[in-house]
Amino acid sequence: MADLWLWITDLGNSKIVALLLFFSTFVGILIYLFSSRSRSDRLESYRYIPFDDEDTPEQRDQDRKDRP
Amino acid sequence: MAQSSTADAARPSAPVAPSEQYNYAIVKKFAIMSLVWGVLGMGVGVYIAAQLAFPFLNFDIAQISFGRFRPVHTTLVIFGFGGNALFATSYYVVQRTCQTRLFGTRLAEFTFWGWNAAVFLGAITYMAGFTQGREYAEFTWQIDILITVVWVAYFLVYLMTLLRRTQPHIYVANWFFMAFILATAILHIFNNLAVPVSLFSLESYSLFSGVQDAMTQWWYGHNAVGFFLTAAFLGMMYYFVPKQAGRPIYSYRLSIVHFWALVFLYMWVGAHHLHWTALPDWVTTLSATFSILLLLPSWGGMINGVMTLSGAWDKLRTDPIMLFMITSLSFYGMATFEGPMMSLKSVNALSHYTDWTVGHVHSGALGWVAMITFGSLYHLIPRLWDTKLYSIRLVYVHFFLATIGIVLYIVAMWVAGIGQGLMLRAFDEFGNLSYTFIETVVFLHQPYVVRALGGGLFLAGMLLMAFNIYKTVMPVHRALKAAESRTAGGATATARA
Amino acid sequence: MKMKHETIETNAGLLVILTLIVISIGGLVEIVPLFYIDDTVEEVDGVRPYTPLEQRGRDIYVREGCYNCHSQMVRPFRDEMLRYGHYSLAAESMYDHPFQWGSKRTGPDLARVGGKYSNEWHVRHLIDPKSVVPESIMPGYPWLARRDLAYDDIERRMRALRRVGVPYSINEEEYQANVERFGEQTARMLHIDDARENLEAQARRGNYDGDPSRITEMDAMVAYLQMLGTLVDFSQYDEGYFVEFR
Repeated sequence: MADLWLWITDLGNSKIVALLLFFSTFVGILIYLFSSRSRSDRLESYRYIPFDDEDTPEQRDQDRKDRP
Repeated sequence: MAQSSTADAARPSAPVAPSEQYNYAIVKKFAIMSLVWGVLGMGVGVYIAAQLAFPFLNFDIAQISFGRFRPVHTTLVIFGFGGNALFATSYYVVQRTCQTRLFGTRLAEFTFWGWNAAVFLGAITYMAGFTQGREYAEFTWQIDILITVVWVAYFLVYLMTLLRRTQPHIYVANWFFMAFILATAILHIFNNLAVPVSLFSLESYSLFSGVQDAMTQWWYGHNAVGFFLTAAFLGMMYYFVPKQAGRPIYSYRLSIVHFWALVFLYMWVGAHHLHWTALPDWVTTLSATFSILLLLPSWGGMINGVMTLSGAWDKLRTDPIMLFMITSLSFYGMATFEGPMMSLKSVNALSHYTDWTVGHVHSGALGWVAMITFGSLYHLIPRLWDTKLYSIRLVYVHFFLATIGIVLYIVAMWVAGIGQGLMLRAFDEFGNLSYTFIETVVFLHQPYVVRALGGGLFLAGMLLMAFNIYKTVMPVHRALKAAESRTAGGATATARA
Repeated sequence: MKMKHETIETNAGLLVILTLIVISIGGLVEIVPLFYIDDTVEEVDGVRPYTPLEQRGRDIYVREGCYNCHSQMVRPFRDEMLRYGHYSLAAESMYDHPFQWGSKRTGPDLARVGGKYSNEWHVRHLIDPKSVVPESIMPGYPWLARRDLAYDDIERRMRALRRVGVPYSINEEEYQANVERFGEQTARMLHIDDARENLEAQARRGNYDGDPSRITEMDAMVAYLQMLGTLVDFSQYDEGYFVEFR
């Protein structure tokens, strides 16, 4: 245990320590996001936010010249 | 469905036209200025490209000689065209996704005038010979201070709008815009630390020197690409691609990973601009490692954008705006693959200092940044003025001009860069250099002509867009003016009576 | 408290703070050590701050945007060493505010251009590059020869540079320190109070633009170009000496 602590606090090992830290955080985020079915559904529901605020219904797929 | 539950909470009780509920006036101003600077900046770009092919175009005039004119080009396109487009879209997106009016009408107005004054003054001062001599941060120190003040105002407007949102969630596009605002503030301040020659002098000397200065500058330089030209435009992508496609973004969870990974990784990679220089090896190696890692979130984001259209690919046949957006994402994917590859030390040894880098930047800047901007503005502008585009066919023409222009540009620069790189390191059988430097310059002439041509096509497309938008907006503008004067006239009539 | 991503999504302040933390890490790890580690810049004899005339030349180099087409950084490759000379050392740009390593070689590297060509060549080349290199695509800079060099603010410029760490001396004590560090001849050039005379004397002595009657911007520019990369005497060092700093 003490050895491990010494190894971690040695600045020469900082790169590996940092890599482990960042990578485990990354994996943690992935697990958090993709593991639970209900959490996934909840998160995916926020995709619709831009559509909560629709423009007036007649939408503008054509240009002015196409109008009768 | 979750959609309706969030919507119910957010929707205002009485229906109000979006143009009244939201501050569209400021978005309109920024959108128009973006086009103005776009035309000017790309025009200057084509001109300096032509100067490299035909040097007589320098005309021995100090103000337009290449060294002074190139910063004018980069500033006008990055900060003028790109910056105004970002202000316009971020102010629009934050209002639409938070369903609230923009905070601080006057403050937002100040960001418009302040920002455009900075761009204008920048261009003028470079031509007059005042520069900090740092790429993409050439602004003299007074303009730097102005930009800082504008940026703080921008941050305030943005944050306060977020805080008074009626929608409980902050949509992912806003995270990207926020990260862009924060990162740009940090980068701008630290990279521009300098001591002025005197209070009334436009000149200053940078606080850092040599190695440290190089590292700070490229930490800034690459993150100007990472946050100004990527993160912020991703914010644009996350709103306008779903809106134009009429379908929600492919995966919200992917966008969470995309955001945090991209924001974290970008800050590490600046030093790959300094491979094989006097900068310590560990820094450049570290930055190359992170550059490779950066491929993952970049492609994650690209996939997220492109897959938004899955099941509706036929839209690409009928909708040139969608075509712009999807093509921009393809170029984003290509540029973010090419970038990590060029950050490898062995590739960089060949590519650095050559036109390959220039080509790479432009596949990102023209292919990704400009094209997603064109798509977004074509979507945005008719909605702002509550009208329809003047001509969809012109949008098609614009799309093809732009695409052909980019392809010519990039291919010419690959030929120029790789060709020159190989010539410079070629040895004859006796171990002597095969080519002098000037022989490689002669070789560059033809690629330079093709590049100028490609840039010219892209500029032609930009001009078409400006014309199309002018014809779209002007009738509405005139009608509004007429209505205004009628009511004003009516008011005076009543007053007289 | 249960940690949810929604906590961040619904709290603008938290989003700002977390984003700030995440974007700060990379820059801190890579930049901060450069200011503390002694190996970043090696000890090399000969490197000195610019003389007043050279510094004014450098200002003009920055003003004209030369860095847009010329690098000042020779990389450790065989072709570059044959073409330009010994690879650049960190110490050689330690007085460069701002650094001008550049990012594009539309023209050749200039880190060691000093002494390669004569003053007359530089003057003709700057006025009309095609007159000496017919294939050149460099713009002409004829105005450099026409304009008188502005140097009444040279003391102020040197004081600003002193503030950012360049050892120009303003008093006897600093002057003596410079004598010890750079030798008496150089130390005299670095004394701010004598800047004007030093500048004029160097321009007269060097007669860089071939017109002794006045001091033009060309004088300063050529004086700067002619000293680039000449400060370190590489014959003094073993080939392996600098490798450890790379």
